Parts: sequence; structure tokens; C-alpha cells
Amino acid sequence: MDQSFQGPAVVVRDLYKEFYRDKLTIPVLMGTNLQVERGDYLALMGPSGSGKTTLLNLIAGLDRPTRGEVIVAGDDLSKLSESALARWRSQHIGFIFQLYNLIPVLTAFENVELPLLLTPLNKRERAEHVRTGLEIVGLADRMDHYPRQLSGGQEQRVAIARAIVNDPVLLVADEPTGDLDARSAREILDLLSRLNAEFGKTIVMVTHDPHAAERAKKLVHLEKGVLVDGNQQPRDQGIQVGTSEGIKA
Amino acid sequence: MKYLKYILRNVRRNKLRTLLTIMALAICLMLMTFLYGYLAQMEVWGREADKYNRVVVMHRQGFAGRVPFKTLDEVRALDGVVAATPFAWYGGKYGDGTEFFAQFGTDPNTLFEVWSEFKIPPDQLAAFKSERQACVVDRALAERLKLKVGDRVPLQGTFYQFNLDLKLVGIYESPETNLSLYFNLKYLDEGLRQLEGTGSAAAGNCGTIFFKAASADIIPDLCKRIDEKYANSSEPTKTQTEKAFSQMFVKMMGNIQNFILFIAVFVTVSLTLVAANGMAMSMRERTTEIAVLKAIGFPNHTVLAIMLGESILIACIGGLLGVAAGRGIYALAHQVAPMVIQISNMPWEVMAWGMLVAGGIGLASGIVPAVLAARLSVIDGLRRIV
Ligand SMILES: Nc1ncnc2c1ncn2[C@@H]1O[C@H](COP(=O)(O)OP(=O)(O)OP(=O)(O)O)[C@@H](O)[C@H]1O
Ligand SMILES: [Mg+2]
Repeated sequence: MDQSFQGPAVVVRDLYKEFYRDKLTIPVLMGTNLQVERGDYLALMGPSGSGKTTLLNLIAGLDRPTRGEVIVAGDDLSKLSESALARWRSQHIGFIFQLYNLIPVLTAFENVELPLLLTPLNKRERAEHVRTGLEIVGLADRMDHYPRQLSGGQEQRVAIARAIVNDPVLLVADEPTGDLDARSAREILDLLSRLNAEFGKTIVMVTHDPHAAERAKKLVHLEKGVLVDGNQQPRDQGIQVGTSEGIKA
Repeated sequence: MKYLKYILRNVRRNKLRTLLTIMALAICLMLMTFLYGYLAQMEVWGREADKYNRVVVMHRQGFAGRVPFKTLDEVRALDGVVAATPFAWYGGKYGDGTEFFAQFGTDPNTLFEVWSEFKIPPDQLAAFKSERQACVVDRALAERLKLKVGDRVPLQGTFYQFNLDLKLVGIYESPETNLSLYFNLKYLDEGLRQLEGTGSAAAGNCGTIFFKAASADIIPDLCKRIDEKYANSSEPTKTQTEKAFSQMFVKMMGNIQNFILFIAVFVTVSLTLVAANGMAMSMRERTTEIAVLKAIGFPNHTVLAIMLGESILIACIGGLLGVAAGRGIYALAHQVAPMVIQISNMPWEVMAWGMLVAGGIGLASGIVPAVLAARLSVIDGLRRIV
């Protein structure tokens, strides 16, 4: 990661994404623009099927756009080959999923260690990083537990530890509280706020939950393939298409 | 390897499925190594024989022909021949005929020179040389027939019309169990001479001559010289190393060998499919997990290696168990039916071959699921639409 890089964490320019299924073209993103500054905490809302996950995947370098630019931490993702992109993800992105997606046969410790296996760190150094990560999420005492021995909230905290252990520039979270009860959800949101405030992590979070969205510093809506300012409903499609001006409040 | 732990855990993930795959592999490899071990006995004989510089002279027609004693005397006189001894397969019936074992007429004076690896007490050897109706057996055969020195061993001729009334005078030790009885060929020969008509036709001959050469490098030349010498005689010879001689028996088994190979190939292919099915199911169950690994940044080749490692590990565990079990029943078969399995330990080549086949099955069964896993699209995997 280029820590010295001072520009915006994410720049999305004129992004188009279409899916093709059975000779059918499904346009999902239609000229989306977005800029996320370093240290920002952005909530992304929108109706089901509006393309939130799709946008998040493009920002995280999991998928390629049909057209348009995605620049994360100064790197133009379209310039990276598939293997380079995988490498890039391991160094720049921390993933948090709705269903935690921990590896069930690995302990909390081993799950958090996974991203570090891709680094040149030795065993002892890895163990140190893992311990730090688990301490941040408050689960240092659950290191040897398997995911099935943890509650949903705890699993998600382990997943967050796994996401931050490599010290990525950007955390992407797709409905991180979607599967949790209110209390656990609050804990997770507290943790994300802390990661943002204390550790300066840039966060992009997709959520359906207005309470969750409230915790973010900024809010944008995705509607019919374009982003609109979170504080106003799209009044006129024609005006909003492809603009992100309104977001920069 | 830092991924070994993960691979091991994956192997144990679906215990029943893994166990069933391992068992299927183990059972088939047990059978296959056993059958191959049976076929490989001749190879082992050949390999053992190579150590002792032994050469076999037989009639050019093969086992049907006979070699006259005159040839034996002439071979003995050759430079580079340390010792030579005649062999005549008697093939008699002992007792009620349920125990089969090899019986050879030979020359007691030279047998233990040509088979220098056989160990016999000097007094017993002296008795063997001096008593016309004496015979010796190896320890394993003595135990099997419950014979001790001094016992009578009557043998009833089957294709020789002359019965032998032998007396056991010695028990020798051999590196590999050979379950053979040796008696003085002169006793048989004189018996045959008494017979009238066709019965006496075999007299004055032996089946083969075994001799020990002074060194390995003179053997090819010796063989050539002997065969050239008798090429135009009434009894032409075929001279070859004991190893080459043993190969003749392998060739005689030719069809069985092909048949077993044929079965082995089919078993291997179907096993591979069974194992591949298991792996494909495992991979499907783990689609999301694989997608997560790839999202985190695991390169395709690492995902491939993790999946292949799993299938190869399972196959090798099955192979190890199967080969071990095959070795076990092989040793058991040697105890129960030593004429069928004549060597006590399964040859190491067969075990290595078994493990190689197991590893191959692991590779072949894992390759398709592993490539699919490596090629899995991350977003599809995360959406669980695969
Ligand atoms: N791989 C794909 N193949 C085909 N269509 C897809 C694919 N991924 C997404 N889509 C389609 O794109 C649209 C947007 O999907 P996406 O998952 O981004 O929505 P979302 O906003 O995240 O919805 P939700 O809130 O339900 O998670 C949907 O209509 C979906 O069917
Ligand atoms: Mg979604």
C-alpha cells in the first residue's frame, strides 16, 4: 500500500456495468460517479437490486466495469491483470460480508491469519499481527474458537479483524449488520466507527438499515443505476444521471 | 507449507465422505498390489539371481527338450565356469498329493557350489553326497511337511515311471523361501535305465544345467560360446542368465499379466471417477469459501494447490492403507499357500507402484474440481449462483 498517497481513496468516473444473462443485457450501473476521500465513512443505500453490491465489487477490484474508471488509492484498476488485481486486493482492501464468511474449519486466529499468509511475514510476526487485530475487535480471548463456537456478532468481529489485519486503505462492508440482532449490530457499528475515527480507515458500507447509515459520515443512494445525494430523494432522473456533485456536501 | 493445516482440516471436514473414499481406494489398492505382487515374484527371482552370476543351459526347444550329461561335462570344463550342476524336474506326488512342491534331481557335489547362498551343515551335506537315496529340503518346506532329518520321503512319479524312495538327510537355509526338494539325479537316472521301452528315454539327460560363472562380465561371451558349440549338434542349446531364464516364466504368464493389467486399468479409472465425484461435491459445498479466499487475494494457483493437495492427500492415505493391507495379506498368503506366493514380503517395487497409482488417482480426481475452483468467478461465488 502506498501510505504516502494523499489523493482521494476512491474515484469512480462515469461507471457503467452491464450483466449478460441468456442473451439479455441487464444494465445495472449507468454512468455512476463517486469520490471517497481518505478517512471517509460512506454509507451506500438503495433498493434491492439497485446495484449496491455491484458497485462495491467494482470498487474492491472483484469485478471489471463495462465502461468507466475506478481508481482506488491512486491505482487505476483497469490497468491491473487478474493476478495483479488479486495481489492488489490483498494489500489494499479489507472485506466484510453480511454472512461473515469465516472459514468454518479454521479457528478465529487462523481465519484472521489468512490474509497474512500472502505476505512475507514469518510465523511469529503473523501471530503478533493476528493478536493485535483480535485485540482491536475485543476477541483476543476467543483466538482458538471455531466460528461455530462464536455468536453471529463475534463472528462478524473476527471477520473485521481479518479485514484489517493487513492494514488496508479501504474497508468495504456489504450489509455488515444485515444478519445481526440490534445489539450485535450496534457493537459492529461502534467498531466500524472506531476503526474510522481512531485508525483512520476509509470505509464504504452498503446497508439497508437507516440506523446503520446514520453512523456513517456520508450517505449516498443508488437508484436505477445512478447515485444521488443521501439527504434528498431523486427528484428528476434526467438531472441526476451520472452526477455525483450533490454528494459532496 | 503454511496451507497444510487448512488442507488437513478440509480433509477431515466431511469425515464420512473422506472415509468412504479412503476405504474404496484402500480396498482396490490392496487387491491390485496383491495381484501385482503375485506377478512380480518372477521379477524378484530375476533380481536376486543377478547377484550370483548364475547361467542356465537348456535345450533350444525350451522346456520340452533335454540336455545330455555329455554337455554338462563339457560345460564344466569351460574356462570361467566355477561350478555346474544338472537339474531335472521330477514333479512327483507326495502323500495324498495335496501338498505341491518342487522336486529336482541334481548333483549333490555341486548343488551347493552353484547355489552358494544356501547354507547347510557340513555333516548333512556329506550325508547328501554319500547316500544315493538322500534328499534335502529348505527349512520352510521341512516345517510345512513336518519333516525332520531321518524321515522317509516317498515320491510317486507322475511323468517318470519311476517312484523315488527318499530319505531326508539335510535341511538347508535359503535367503528366500524356495520350498524345494533336491535329490541325487543319479538315483533317478539309474532307475530309468532299468525301465523298458519309452520309460527309459529320459535317461542320460537332465532338463537344464545351472552353472556359476566366475564374474558377470564374462557371461555374455560364455553364453555365445556354448550355444555356438552345440548349434549344429543333435542337441542344440539355449544359454542365458538365470534372470533371463526367470523372464521366460513371466512370458508364460503373459496373458494373466495382461488380464490383471486390464482389470487394474478399469479399477483405477472407476476409482478416479468416484474420488472425483467426492472432490467435486466438496468443492461445490465450499464455493463461497473459495470465493472469499480469492476475494482476500489468494492467487489462482494457490487455490488450485490447496484443492489438489486435498485430493492427493486423501488418495495417498487410501493408498498407504491399501498397500499396507496388501502387504499384510501377501505375507499371510505366503504362510497359507507358499507355492502360490513364494516370497514372504511384497516386493518394494509393487508397493511403490501402488503408491504411485494412488497419487495419480488423487491428482486425476482432483484436477477438474481444483481447476474449477481456481477459475471460479469471485462475484459469482459470493452470490452463490454457481
Ligand atoms: N453476476 C450477475 N449476473 C447477472 N446479473 C447480476 C449479476 N450480479 C448482479 N446482477 C443483477 O444486477 C442487479 C444489481 O444487483 P446487486 O447485487 O448489485 O444489487 P444490490 O443493490 O446489492 O441488491 P441487494 O440489496 O438485494 O443486495 C440485479 O438486478 C442483479 O440481478
Ligand atoms: Mg447486495
